[in-house]
Amino acid sequence: MDEILAIFLKEWRTELRARNGLFVSFTFSLLSVVAMGFACSIRTPSGSLGAGLFCLTLLFAAVVSLPRTFLSEEDQGTFELLRTLADPGAAFTGKMLFATLLMLLTGALLGVLFPILTGLEVKQLDLYIVAIVVECLALGSAVSLCGALVLGSPNRWVVVGVLALPLLIPQLAMAIGAFRAALGDGFVAAGWQNVAGLGGYALASVASGPSLVGAVWRRGG
Amino acid sequence: MLVAEGVGKRFGSRWIFRGVSFELEKGDVLAVLGSNGAGKSTLLRILAGLLAPSEGRVEGIQDFRAEVGYSSLDQALYPALTAREHLDLAGRLRKVLPQVEELLAKVGLVREIQTCSTFSSGMKSRLRLALAIQTSPSILLLDEPSASMDAPGQKLVSEIVSEQAARGVAIIATHQDVDRRLATHEVQLNG
Repeated sequence: MDEILAIFLKEWRTELRARNGLFVSFTFSLLSVVAMGFACSIRTPSGSLGAGLFCLTLLFAAVVSLPRTFLSEEDQGTFELLRTLADPGAAFTGKMLFATLLMLLTGALLGVLFPILTGLEVKQLDLYIVAIVVECLALGSAVSLCGALVLGSPNRWVVVGVLALPLLIPQLAMAIGAFRAALGDGFVAAGWQNVAGLGGYALASVASGPSLVGAVWRRGG
Repeated sequence: MLVAEGVGKRFGSRWIFRGVSFELEKGDVLAVLGSNGAGKSTLLRILAGLLAPSEGRVEGIQDFRAEVGYSSLDQALYPALTAREHLDLAGRLRKVLPQVEELLAKVGLVREIQTCSTFSSGMKSRLRLALAIQTSPSILLLDEPSASMDAPGQKLVSEIVSEQAARGVAIIATHQDVDRRLATHEVQLNG
């Protein structure tokens, strides 16, 4: 636990001094949601379309900023130092927790701005809030897993994209289902079922991540 | 204590080196010699557990993080962290007392409060040395330890290698005479 906390604090300290991930994530999210606000200024979209737009904004905010917590280790040449110091599982978990915190902050910002700028009404506030939290957890863990698994790969920015497709498409479908219900389009019970699915997805990524990353990092070159 | 038997490494179809063997006992200091590209750094990375050998085997290391101290010019430091923060982080990750002030005093960085992004290459080498000896490792691997050091820095390397010989083995990859003089054994890589 102390190792995980040490990695988390290192990420936090680095972020506060460099402001890379949070700045990129916030800027991109803000631009996306403002653009959607402009697009919806004449006619408010349906709940289904709104759910899709919101999930896309969350997804791209995650994809732009989160793999950086791992890939920056390789880019700045510190991956080898990290491997000599840290247990792979602890390194993954500490970084994943930090990425999830970034995602939660971004999700909170978007969750407030999106309905205001698009004019969509949130019909099920509790479902909307829980869906944002669980989707941020699922995105944080899945995107972190992608970033961690491609460390050391020569074409890591390409591979991370390929790896992200099968990991992100199912959770995107579940998240859209949950937000659709929260925005008044679809059954509320189905929305909660999708939230439960997303939670399971996040749990699977968190549980399998440390051992998967350990196996890949130990393999060496 | 540390045995390498027929160790070889290739990248793709190109062999970097083959058939490296040695057997070291406590107190031994091995100099790994060779021209640029002969595979000195690669051999040290294998011994540090960062690369798998393509052939042969290394025996005598159970837990790389606890038993091996590794310092290399290729090893970058976190630019946003200070020397103190590096040692504190490393101590917590390796579950040893960080000994931050003692180690900083030893490598001459006790007054440095800036982040590593402002460090000279010599200061970075000193910090890497401090990180390498933090766990009092039984095997110390130093890749070109004196390459960016001034005269006091080279003396520091010599002191650290002498102390290491009292508790285990040291392996130095080098093409500098100042480091070679510290060795009790030599291995020549021909690339």
